[in-house]
Amino acid sequence: MRLELRKVRIRDVRWGDVTKVEGGTLFIDKKEAIAVVAEETRFAHVDLELARPGESVRIIPVKDAIEPRVKIGDDGAPTGYFPGFCAPMDRAGEGCTLVLDGAAVVTCGPIVAFQEGFIDMQGPGAVYTPFSATQNVILIVEPIDGLDPHAYERILREAGLKLAVHIAARCAENGVPEADELTVYEKGTAHEEGKKFPDLPKVVYVCMNITQGLLHDTYLYGSDIRPALPTLVHPNEVLDGAMVSGNCVSACDKNTTWHHVHNPIVASLYARHGTEINFLGVIPTQESTIMDGKLRAARMNLSIALELGAQGAIISEEGYGNPDSDLCLNAKYFEQAGIRTVVVSDEAAGTDGASQGLADTTPEMIAFVSTGNVNEMLEVPAMARVIGCPEAIANLSGGSDESLRPDGSMFVEMQSITASTTEIGYSRVGCEWV
Amino acid sequence: MGREIERVAGIPVVQIATIIPIMLTVGANRIVPGIAIPHPTGDPDLGPERDRAVREELVMRSLGALATDVAEQTVFEK
Repeated sequence: MRLELRKVRIRDVRWGDVTKVEGGTLFIDKKEAIAVVAEETRFAHVDLELARPGESVRIIPVKDAIEPRVKIGDDGAPTGYFPGFCAPMDRAGEGCTLVLDGAAVVTCGPIVAFQEGFIDMQGPGAVYTPFSATQNVILIVEPIDGLDPHAYERILREAGLKLAVHIAARCAENGVPEADELTVYEKGTAHEEGKKFPDLPKVVYVCMNITQGLLHDTYLYGSDIRPALPTLVHPNEVLDGAMVSGNCVSACDKNTTWHHVHNPIVASLYARHGTEINFLGVIPTQESTIMDGKLRAARMNLSIALELGAQGAIISEEGYGNPDSDLCLNAKYFEQAGIRTVVVSDEAAGTDGASQGLADTTPEMIAFVSTGNVNEMLEVPAMARVIGCPEAIANLSGGSDESLRPDGSMFVEMQSITASTTEIGYSRVGCEWV
Repeated sequence: MGREIERVAGIPVVQIATIIPIMLTVGANRIVPGIAIPHPTGDPDLGPERDRAVREELVMRSLGALATDVAEQTVFEK
């Protein structure tokens, strides 16, 4: 399976007459882009804004971020992206994908209120989110009166995907420049690779996802994976739009749709495939709200890993609290079966960092990579421009009624910043290597 | 909180909660498994009548657990 990512580097974003890339600048035909989103008649109002790295801008409340991408057919024409959403139902991970590298569509609008986050484009808050370094096209919508939250979440989720694919497709149609970088991911099936590298340790990646209903869901090929069973996918599928975030969980550790295609655990395992390890594949799995669901998912993750002959597993969590139990169960079952595990998770250790980091523990969880304390407090200054609604901080997880001061500055927990402690480890901060 | 009520006031406590491993971790002594995190004490998917039966059974089982002496952390399954 061969995936070629044609990355065109985006260094600026501007409004223009035509949506295209020229000299590293992404131009957006605002009217056309709004019209594409407004095809959904359940939006009462649709607007777009731009935000660039270093600007004095706060975006709040943020739901999802999506990288503008589109599949390119043999004839050079764009064919859509995110199978099951904005492309025909086909296998992701094969062929050629145009990537507007450095750009992001950011969806903005209150849904569950306390489970969105904010992005600062400069200042101390900017350090903790990848989206302060991207050229952002922000989609702001208002639903029609009386639209129920599930329908609103769905149309906003789909609108973000649609806008991101529209932008990339229009760029492809309007003479996109040569790629600045070509990234190729190529690997056979687990069976083929096992024959090629019989002596390398076999490693599987267990990607836990928020799947809890009530707007806490993750999608694989357009299908909600909450009522599904764990499954196995080729890493290329993950890196090429098979997974989509539909969840409104605490902002710090939600894997946005942007994160899934940039999953650093997948990319790192891939980079070591064939030299240090045999990377077997990715198990997208659930975090259920019922005990039997947690037990079932953990057992089935292990079943898949055992069928593949896995000797090691990396396990990443999404969210915190009750999913800590899923994390423990996964580590426990794998270790008991003789598969060595490393788990990646953040911690809710209190504002002073002194509390127990996870809600659950197990002695089998012996190798733990922490992506930070969600409760850490941070002072962020006022921004000259606020896109969205500044008062929303009062309702966000990690914010309170007192967070927003009259001068526009805020004193907040890290968890209110979008993707600040993401548990797949995509971060702009980290430990110093010694 | 449950542990403190037991320790300070000497009143036995039953904890109805869905994620039993967390209850075991925090040291609850009498645990009755709840239905689901969004609705631990009932099952609205079953409709009002059967939901009520689920609720009643949970309460009766919890009262039974309260009246049971335990020597160690105990999960009261159905």
